Amino acid sequence: MLRRNIRMRREYLYRKSLEGKERLLYEKKRKIREALQEGKPIPTELRNEEAALRREIDLEDENTAVPRSHIDDEYAHAAEKDPKILLTTSRDPSAPLQQFVKELSFVFPNAQRMNRGGQVISEIIESCRAHDYTDVVLVHEHRGVPDGLIVSHLPYGPTAYFGLLNVVTRHEIKDRKAIGTMPEAYPHLIFDNFSTKLGERTANILKYLFPVPKPDTKRIVTFSNQSDYVSFRHHIYEKHGGPKSIELKEIGPRFELRLYQIKLGTVDQAEAQIEWVIRPYMNTSKKRKFLSD
Amino acid sequence: MAGSTGAGEEALRRLMSTNQPSFLAPNPALSETARAASRHLFSALRPFCPKSPLDQLLVDGFDAEQIWQQIDLQSQPLLSSLRRQVKHFAKNPKEISQLKVVPLGKKVEKEQEEWMEESDGFDEELEDDEEGEEKGEEYGMEIEEEDGDQGGESGSEEESEEEDEEEKGEDGEGGGGGIEDKFLKIDELTKYLEKEEENFENAERDMRGKKDADDEEDTEDEDDHDDEEEEESDEDAEFGFGDEDEEAEDMENARYEDFFGAKKGKYSKKKKAQLHQDSESSDDEDDDMEFKKQNKGTASTHQKQLEKIQSKIEQMEKANLEPKTWTMQGEVTAAKRPKNSALEVDLDFEHNVRPAPVITEEVTASIEDMIKKRITEGHFNDVQRAPKLPSKVPREVKELDDNKSKQGLAEIYEQEYVQKEDPTSAPLSFKDEQKQQASVLFKKLGLKLDALAHFSFAPKPVIEDMSVQINVPALAMEEIAPVAVSDAAMLAPEEVFDGKGDIKEETELTKEERKRRRANKKRKFKAAGVKRTGKKMQEGALPNQVNG
Repeated sequence: MLRRNIRMRREYLYRKSLEGKERLLYEKKRKIREALQEGKPIPTELRNEEAALRREIDLEDENTAVPRSHIDDEYAHAAEKDPKILLTTSRDPSAPLQQFVKELSFVFPNAQRMNRGGQVISEIIESCRAHDYTDVVLVHEHRGVPDGLIVSHLPYGPTAYFGLLNVVTRHEIKDRKAIGTMPEAYPHLIFDNFSTKLGERTANILKYLFPVPKPDTKRIVTFSNQSDYVSFRHHIYEKHGGPKSIELKEIGPRFELRLYQIKLGTVDQAEAQIEWVIRPYMNTSKKRKFLSD
Repeated sequence: MAGSTGAGEEALRRLMSTNQPSFLAPNPALSETARAASRHLFSALRPFCPKSPLDQLLVDGFDAEQIWQQIDLQSQPLLSSLRRQVKHFAKNPKEISQLKVVPLGKKVEKEQEEWMEESDGFDEELEDDEEGEEKGEEYGMEIEEEDGDQGGESGSEEESEEEDEEEKGEDGEGGGGGIEDKFLKIDELTKYLEKEEENFENAERDMRGKKDADDEEDTEDEDDHDDEEEEESDEDAEFGFGDEDEEAEDMENARYEDFFGAKKGKYSKKKKAQLHQDSESSDDEDDDMEFKKQNKGTASTHQKQLEKIQSKIEQMEKANLEPKTWTMQGEVTAAKRPKNSALEVDLDFEHNVRPAPVITEEVTASIEDMIKKRITEGHFNDVQRAPKLPSKVPREVKELDDNKSKQGLAEIYEQEYVQKEDPTSAPLSFKDEQKQQASVLFKKLGLKLDALAHFSFAPKPVIEDMSVQINVPALAMEEIAPVAVSDAAMLAPEEVFDGKGDIKEETELTKEERKRRRANKKRKFKAAGVKRTGKKMQEGALPNQVNG
């Protein structure tokens, strides 16, 4: 098992290193294809390799035509299987944090909550890999108020670090009857205003925490981005009457997410490469937006 | 008024005459009489109380507690004034003799005589201040009890008490007669009293209503009333009508400064009805202020300005000498400033981070609008199931037919031979045959089902098979055709005709064309003849030569 893991990690890194060459090849093929389509002469630098490349172009299908990166590799098989999530907290959680984690376990379908106890993070990740979990979510707090969320995709996937703000939990709402029980159908997802590449990447990380829903479910989970603050909302809708009348009922917790780091490794790999990190002390950071345009 | 007073006195009389034990049991008639009696007494006392809020004791429908409260309301200020009066009389017994008596008839005068006798008698008896005061105090206390019980139902008992008290009171008032010191001068007192009497008489005539003096049994009451009335009327005279009289004011508001040299101000004399020490002290302050103002008024405006500036300069110099506040001290660590002082000061520095969004109603509403729009469009960012790539090519499965062969062995050989000769006539392979059969069957079935199921059923258009008809005699090819039809009829005219170009009839031809035709025919014949002779020469030329 250990050796297998090491081998797979090495393969992954190797494929990552090949990406540069792959990209070059893809570019060349693309140029030849264009030249052929438009009827222009093939560019001179490609004359020697032109024959071989042409053959390859002919044999291509839609999967091989697009260059694949390690990013796609991470979520390549995510769409084929339903995700399996493990939820834990930091050590020695307070009661409000435990309640919040319990609520989150209902928000993500197919999620399992676990007491943290005194476990080390590397142990947790090892056991999750062995049991075929796809994601691990850790929640941190400050004096009862949840303030941090770490989403780690498991087979060497990326880890996204979020800060939580304006948290309103279901336990805080006094009128229990009004809010009712939490439905457990697979929800529809809405990602609004994630326009940059980094925004797409974040949206993907959050998207693959959920399974494929049925087309007629009434449960909706929304991640709405406004100037780098992502609002999480959880609703149930009802359509009364024909003429496009939709009634939204908010259930579940609501909070704002603020991304501050993405790492290209799991949580226990402290030395992993940093894909993106927030720079708040830069002079222009106030004017820049990273998740939208 | 007379009638009501008569009824009231009647009620009082009845109360007096009832037995003591009868008060123990609740008796509605007795309570009625008691109420009437108390109302009468109340209204009789009413004129003596300047501040009484009630004109009449309200007894209808009120219980004992409420009636008692009303009486209490009237009697409390009355008590205090009476006490004061008594003290006053304790000090100045001679005044009693000069008290103005209400002109209610002979009884009043009789009383006055009585008083005079008593006062004279008692002057000699009692000469001590203390005794007089004691008596006065006793009297005061008794008066309390008396007033306290007046509102109750046992009024009869007290009336006798009142009488006794009155006598005692008279004793007390007369007891202090022999005292005189530098404050109290008897001559002044007599003069004052005479003046007061005059005032009082005038007042009394206005205020006093007609009282019924015929009732003997009410004399006792009247005695009581009169005594009190006189005292009260004295009070009234003092309070209501003595304002303009400065002397009276002085007597009442006698203070230290009046006798032992007033201080600078003159306000104290002018103030009306202020008996408290507070007013006295404020008077002193006012006096001081007056003096200071007079001093400042002497300085000029320029001097005033200079003084102001001087004071400011002093302040600023003092501030400069002291150590500065921590906010002005440049770099300050937490140890050098007081605890939590940085929280109060408005520190100014730039924040380089966009502040966290405050979730208002509008923000929530906008998010919900966006969600609703997405729902109506049906545009969700769900995870899509990726189509699985074919990992292997599906292997060709060879099917073996395990039925017995329908063709005999000779037929099989025959087919193989035909295949060899003519490759086009290859029989269909087993698989294709089955497939074709299946497809034909299914097509038929499908057609029938469509005809049943569809509302607008259009039958499938028949595609005609193109097959070439070969110009072959009937024997060579078996055709499913009617016997009567000949070969010629099977073929189309263009299949029969083997000419070229435009054909013309004999009749259509022109002369030149006929000639041309004949010439062509001759030429051909000659050519053919030459060929024949050529051949004949080759084969055997001798027979032709012999003949010719």
